[in-house]
Amino acid sequence: MHDIVGLEGLGIPGVMVASDQFVEAAAVQARALGADPARVFVAHPIQDRTDDEVRALADAAYDRIVAALVADTPAPGAG
Amino acid sequence: MTLGVAEDDAEAMFERGWTDGLPVVPPTPERVERMLAGTTRTPDEVVAVVPPDLAECTVEKVAINAVLAGCRPEYLPVVLAAVEAACTDAFNMHGLLATTWFSGPVVVVNGPVTHAIGMNSGVNALGPGNRANATIGRALQLVVRNVGGGRPGEVDRATLGQPGKYTFCFAEDEAGSPWEPLHVARGLEPGQSAVTLFAGEAPRGLADQLARSADDLATSFAACLRTVWGPKAVLAFDAMVVVSPEHARVFAGSGWTRTRLVEELHARLRIPGAELVRGAGGIAEGVDPAWADAEIPKFRPDGLLVVHAGGGAGLFSAIVGGWASGALGSEPVTRPVGT
Amino acid sequence: MTRVVLDPTAEATPAVRERASRPADLTGRTVGLLDISKARGDVFLDRVAERCAEAGLRVERFRKPTFTKPAPIDLRHEIATKCDVVIEALAD
Repeated sequence: MHDIVGLEGLGIPGVMVASDQFVEAAAVQARALGADPARVFVAHPIQDRTDDEVRALADAAYDRIVAALVADTPAPGAG
Repeated sequence: MTLGVAEDDAEAMFERGWTDGLPVVPPTPERVERMLAGTTRTPDEVVAVVPPDLAECTVEKVAINAVLAGCRPEYLPVVLAAVEAACTDAFNMHGLLATTWFSGPVVVVNGPVTHAIGMNSGVNALGPGNRANATIGRALQLVVRNVGGGRPGEVDRATLGQPGKYTFCFAEDEAGSPWEPLHVARGLEPGQSAVTLFAGEAPRGLADQLARSADDLATSFAACLRTVWGPKAVLAFDAMVVVSPEHARVFAGSGWTRTRLVEELHARLRIPGAELVRGAGGIAEGVDPAWADAEIPKFRPDGLLVVHAGGGAGLFSAIVGGWASGALGSEPVTRPVGT
Repeated sequence: MTRVVLDPTAEATPAVRERASRPADLTGRTVGLLDISKARGDVFLDRVAERCAEAGLRVERFRKPTFTKPAPIDLRHEIATKCDVVIEALAD
């Protein structure tokens, strides 16, 4: 989290990816750092998964990761 | 901060989130002032930047937390040294706090201050019963909690944790030791007082009641040390060995210095890769199969700390397993105790 | 009788900084992938890199020495120099 907050401070949009065991820890750390970095969480566990399972986690998270790095696009028809 | 008229002092401390789960001493201005008399340093001097919030911590904030922990004023210089040591980049309190592993800061105190403030290095040295041992370790934890914002369940993500994270502080028994004091072995002067911080898990027992030679006893120690983190982990975690007087007597009887003991343990902990690779011995955990033909040391060269403490009866010592070692995690840090 | 106690905390409530402004999309951008050096993160980021490549994005890979500490300042600057956006993974 310190890395993403630091890079955002240098003007580089960033997103951190963590397992969903860290939702709360990340929120607390963000508050303490006075920042709200973009975060994407993937399903725990990580360490004992096969490579294929880890790749599937990456595929499942990819669209959310990209969405966290680009400006919000207004829904079609919205002002 | 003013407590409500109807508030119970002890309950008020819990409700504000200032305790580790045990009662604390309310830090009234009078108590904090008395605590500050324990040091020559000025209250507004910044002692350290405390993780995880990277908050500047003054002498006064340390003193307030020392009051909470139950310290006497004369303990404060030791607490200040422990806070400074914990907040170095080398010790890496931030990573230690955030890890899912069991470890927390273990404080070993050496030098004249241990006698001056009545610390315990003898019977039950790692256990309860001594105010200085108990409250110095606790004060360090409360500084990390209250000043640094490192609270269990928040940034502290330990899967299980361990009771030593309430407090884990003891003195080395220098008078009864066959070896030079730990801080001297780590480069400080004999007359100096010092703290040495180690990122440790809970102590576990190590028994050998039959070994009469240093050779035999070291082999026994090595077999137990091999299981730190797991029997197939190599070059990953450090360990501290707390050698009891009766075991130290065996090593001293064979003329072994502390350096010799550490060397002999390393020599016995070079493990054939075939025993360590994934799947070997029916255990999925392990190192990359590419290491099968190598011989791999269990610990890095600086990865073993030897301390002398404990009561006079019992051919038992203790292993305190470490955490990710060296630049990847935590390096033991020794720091002089000031005034 | 009122009793006063001193605050043992850092008494800090930092204001929340805004995120850096985002591009409308990633077309033509360089994506930095920062591996925190925790086991399995490489497999995750290898797949993210493949997906980025399929989308026609340039990818730069970085690895910090240890997940237990923030990245060295030089590494941060290198990332900031070479990349338009950054993805850090994988904490567990």
